[in-house]
Amino acid sequence: MTDLLTPFHYDYMLKAILVSGLIGGVCAFLSCFITLKGWSLMGDALSHAVVPGVSLAWLVGLPFSVGAFVAGILAALSMGWVKRHTRLREDAVIGVIFTSWFALGLLLLSLYPSNLNLRTIIFGNILAISDPDILQVLIISGISILVLTLKWRDLLLYCFDESHARSLGMNTSFLHFLLLSLLAATAVAALQTVGACLVVAMLVTPGATAYLLTDRFGKMLIIATITGLLCGVLGAYGSYFLNGSTGGCIVVLQTLVFLVVLFLAPKHGLLAARRQRRIAAMS
Amino acid sequence: MREISPPLSIEVADVTVAYANGIVALRDASFKLGPGVICALVGVNGSGKSTLFKAIMGFIRPVKGSVRIAGKSVEQARRGKRIAYVPQSEEVDWTFPVNVWDVVMMGRYGHMNFMRLPSATDKRIVAESLDRVGMSDFKERQIGELSGGQKKRVFLARALAQRGSIMLLDEPFTGVDVTTEETIISLLRALRDDGHIILVSTHNLGSVPEFCDHVVLVNRTVLAAGPTDDVFTEKNLTLAFGGVLRQFHFEQSTIQEHDGRTVKLLTDDERPLVFGKDGHLEYKDREGREKLVKEREKEAGK
Ligand SMILES: Nc1ncnc2c1ncn2[C@@H]1O[C@H](COP(=O)(O)OP(=O)(O)O)[C@@H](O)[C@H]1O
Ligand SMILES: [Mg+2]
Repeated sequence: MTDLLTPFHYDYMLKAILVSGLIGGVCAFLSCFITLKGWSLMGDALSHAVVPGVSLAWLVGLPFSVGAFVAGILAALSMGWVKRHTRLREDAVIGVIFTSWFALGLLLLSLYPSNLNLRTIIFGNILAISDPDILQVLIISGISILVLTLKWRDLLLYCFDESHARSLGMNTSFLHFLLLSLLAATAVAALQTVGACLVVAMLVTPGATAYLLTDRFGKMLIIATITGLLCGVLGAYGSYFLNGSTGGCIVVLQTLVFLVVLFLAPKHGLLAARRQRRIAAMS
Repeated sequence: MREISPPLSIEVADVTVAYANGIVALRDASFKLGPGVICALVGVNGSGKSTLFKAIMGFIRPVKGSVRIAGKSVEQARRGKRIAYVPQSEEVDWTFPVNVWDVVMMGRYGHMNFMRLPSATDKRIVAESLDRVGMSDFKERQIGELSGGQKKRVFLARALAQRGSIMLLDEPFTGVDVTTEETIISLLRALRDDGHIILVSTHNLGSVPEFCDHVVLVNRTVLAAGPTDDVFTEKNLTLAFGGVLRQFHFEQSTIQEHDGRTVKLLTDDERPLVFGKDGHLEYKDREGREKLVKEREKEAGK
């Protein structure tokens, strides 16, 4: 029994569990918008495109998240610009632009080593997170949660029916930029927990899971956030016993939940669909 | 509660719209509508009906010309929440996790506070709007689980809930059952009688004279605009549709003993199915069907 409590005796584990839960929850909230807007690939791309920002921020002495955020936004804007002015498809544009930013980041990091080494950026290292970094995560999460709880209905309308939002006189360019900024900000926050490679899982899987469980967006937000939060907490906690990568544990846990739901969801699960076909065939 | 402002009107003056790919979808389009009118926007696929709607909504800026609504710019009119837009079905993501009630409530967003929390009034108006289109029993349904006609009615209810004074409907009759068509038409009539301006793009030529007071014929520009009786002539329609229009000349068909006057049936998207006397299936031309024509003559003679 006391064994189960050991992780809580270590300061670093306690921090890791709380920060993972927080980031898991915030990313999951946002994941509902990302999956429905069709921005999953963009989330992946953004989490890689922030890398040069980390290096440059170190060089000029800014907090790493400021640099990463600016780099992410610039990458997304340059992508939007290229897409508008060429006939290339979106996936090709994402492929070209974001890999170039990532490559630039690699180059900068190899030339000017910073406080965050490449391994940390790519694979994350929540166990070694410093207090100032925790503060950055707290600020980003706080702002994101505030904005999302105040404006989720506007963002929902923007994702669902942009024309209608515009016909009501809403500023859809602003909403677009707001969603993009939230995506970049949470990608930056999640970077240290799970690393650039796995950020996209945090930003997509909980939303995808919740989407299979409900037909109401409000409920989807709640289900996704709770899933993300629990997977963050339990994944970090479990990683102590497995002695494995924290990010890996969190994302594997999220995937397991997703798989269970994929098969067993009462209405949109694979087994339910099969059952309905059988019933239809019999009647 | 109507504002006391210049009388309602839509004025489209010399509007030219070009897309980024260089296609000029509309050139020098002009027409004018006053209050209390149902106007049909008629033209073939790709003639620029949706484009004209988007220009009126201000979603695309014309490269030339202007759109004025009640004498004001489109942006001002949008801010005044005066224009409701019912999109073409293809433009909606039907798998989105929202139900009928949620969608109609979106019509009220413009009237809500910063956080878009619905008030009792908002809820009452949404319930009323659903009732008017006969969709109250479906309010819990996810929107993808509705029939084509029901989907249209939901978006019509959203437009009603918006309480605008101008309504633009893009192809509301495509893929819709007869009951829905009748519901929509009677609703639009009621709105017109309240002084609204209603603009409907449609393929459904037969229904146009039934309920539209005005017609705007488009084919990359406005070919003709005005009262239905003046504009909806065979000459104009042939101009707008060219060879696309399907024709059924009674005097050339397998129908016997027509009364000698020339009757012609025009339809855009579907061939008409015509049954003659005694429920005989009738064909467009006699050529190749001489035997059939003889048989019918015999029957008629007996
Ligand atoms: N977003 C777009 N980009 C480029 N061309 C477009 C776009 N939308 C429509 N078009 C072109 O403009 C013309 C008019 O289209 P549209 O207004 O949709 O016609 P309709 O609604 O009458 O079928 C078509 O030739 C179409 O190919
Ligand atoms: Mg169209």
